[in-house]
Amino acid sequence: MTIDQKSSQADQGELEAEVPSSGSSFDPGSAAAGAPSVEIVRTRRRRRADSVWNDFFRKPATVTFLILLVAMVLLSTLGPLFAGDPVATDHPTLTPPSAEYPLGTDQLGRDYLARVLFGGRISLLVGFTVAFLCMTLGLIVGGLAGFFGGIVDAVLVKVAEFFQVIPGIVLALVAAALLGSNFVIIVTILALTMWPGVARIVRAETMRVTQLGYVESARAAGFSSLRILWSDVIPNAMPPVIVATTMTVGRAILVESGLAFLGIGDANRPSWGALLNSAQAYMAAGWWLALFPGLCIFIVVLSVNMLGDSLNDSLNPTIGRVK
Amino acid sequence: MRSAVLHYAKLLLSSVVLLLVVITILFLLLELAPGDPVQTLVGDIPVSDAFRAQITASFGLDKPLLERYLIYVGNVFTGNLGFSFGTDEPVIDLIFSRIGNTLALALPAFVISTTGAIILGSIAARTRKRWLDGLISGTAVAIFSIPNFWLGLMLIMLFSITLGWLPTQGKSSYGQSGIQLQYLILPVLTLASSELAFKTRIMRSSMIEALGGDYIDTARSKGLSPRRVLWQHGLPNALLPMVTVAGYSLGFIFAGSVLVERVFGWPGMGLLFIDAIERQNNMVVLGVVIVITVTILIVNILTDVVYGLVDPRLRARFARPVRSVA
Repeated sequence: MTIDQKSSQADQGELEAEVPSSGSSFDPGSAAAGAPSVEIVRTRRRRRADSVWNDFFRKPATVTFLILLVAMVLLSTLGPLFAGDPVATDHPTLTPPSAEYPLGTDQLGRDYLARVLFGGRISLLVGFTVAFLCMTLGLIVGGLAGFFGGIVDAVLVKVAEFFQVIPGIVLALVAAALLGSNFVIIVTILALTMWPGVARIVRAETMRVTQLGYVESARAAGFSSLRILWSDVIPNAMPPVIVATTMTVGRAILVESGLAFLGIGDANRPSWGALLNSAQAYMAAGWWLALFPGLCIFIVVLSVNMLGDSLNDSLNPTIGRVK
Repeated sequence: MRSAVLHYAKLLLSSVVLLLVVITILFLLLELAPGDPVQTLVGDIPVSDAFRAQITASFGLDKPLLERYLIYVGNVFTGNLGFSFGTDEPVIDLIFSRIGNTLALALPAFVISTTGAIILGSIAARTRKRWLDGLISGTAVAIFSIPNFWLGLMLIMLFSITLGWLPTQGKSSYGQSGIQLQYLILPVLTLASSELAFKTRIMRSSMIEALGGDYIDTARSKGLSPRRVLWQHGLPNALLPMVTVAGYSLGFIFAGSVLVERVFGWPGMGLLFIDAIERQNNMVVLGVVIVITVTILIVNILTDVVYGLVDPRLRARFARPVRSVA
């Protein structure tokens, strides 16, 4: 492993040590023995997966942050159904949080709780959609690049290098400003600037897995390349990819909030970042306006990052070893 | 020696290619953007087609796309970034009048976050799995999860509005020129925070890896104090990945300063950028992105040079590319 490879992994902040060799206990010899041994292997793999999830869910940090995240997701998805109208201005203006208005009201007399709940919808939807798109694109391009090498690989390396050097937010800012800024455009731009991060990890893992014995046996058994990639390589390359995708949710929410804070986003459906943008002018008069949306972003991103971290620990147990 | 020259020539070439790609992407985005610049200039007054054609020709907009692109690229490489829409000031002058203010934020933030991360990350690695490590690592993740600009807002609320210790906006009090220290504190802290957190995590893992090396066992068995083992034997090796990360981080500090300058009303390049975007002053937008890109590329090359200097192993086998593909 070269130093640059190491640092590019460290870049993601999570892949601290060697990636786990999940499934490498597979003995190529037993594959040739026929169908019964395949059954054995399958149960063995399932048992390993069980232990990973057991390990993951048994940690107090996981439980805490999973509850926090689920709570925030439920509040943002179901909350707006029960909260009042986020644009109705028939409340008193700039009232601090009270029993009647748990998060106060804003300068136009809108119920801030409703606004924050509706804002969460947008922020979370952006975060999860972008992460999903990044994972999909990353798996396709990174998988093909790592498995086949050649021109796809060369192009991917260059593109990844490009986005490693040029901060994506600057490009996103320009693109969003020039192309207009509705939900679809924002999500597309964020996904386009963030997918190489995931693709790089997919590529590295795919390259590693491709050299393992069971891929060779699959080739010897005469399976087509795409079939091997789909059923052997990608599943075994998934652990670090899942971690990276989790982290992407947090990063996407952060970048979106930054763009929205600068006034780039759907003005009719303000996300948490957009709420902060309008709150800046009223910081002295209404502290709650700037506090709550930011706190929501913080809680969600922290939960996502913590879950990604502990997922990484469970999937990569080698890190736990202390010399 | 020749391979070293070849290596840096390649690096320079790939940097120029990267810059070209950035310019091309931006140029195409501008072409894709809705709106007609000539119409904007003319306004709502009805004009004859001949007059419209005259304006179009005076800006060279009647030429084909490829020709305009080549002219623009040629101008960029000779230091001409065009003129600001409305005021007709050269974009390059506008940027140079602001870049000093941005550097006044970015450089201290860079120094604080890098040195802080080296110290905190090493301590966390040394006290691994104990409370101090837990505190440092936990705080790092937390700070990394805070939206940078919101942290700035909260700091303003606490230190400026509630306590009244520090000013809220600008770089100096009214009528004063230059930069005053008390105006610098909050923006620099805000800008440094997330980079500090990020680099601390990197430093911690790279130090843990360095401390796992055999030479650490040797140093310990020689009877060296744990402190000397950490700082004299562990640190130099743990610093290597940090060089790359620090190089990249300068780019992200530049990008982050856009948000921070907006929060603190800091008249730097970022604020110029935001103003330009809001007023659709496209030449300025392009110019700022190009200047940021060039700065980042130069830092990148410097990083590579430093890398070669601090790691003798890389100097010895220069035939292999230092920046090997990931």
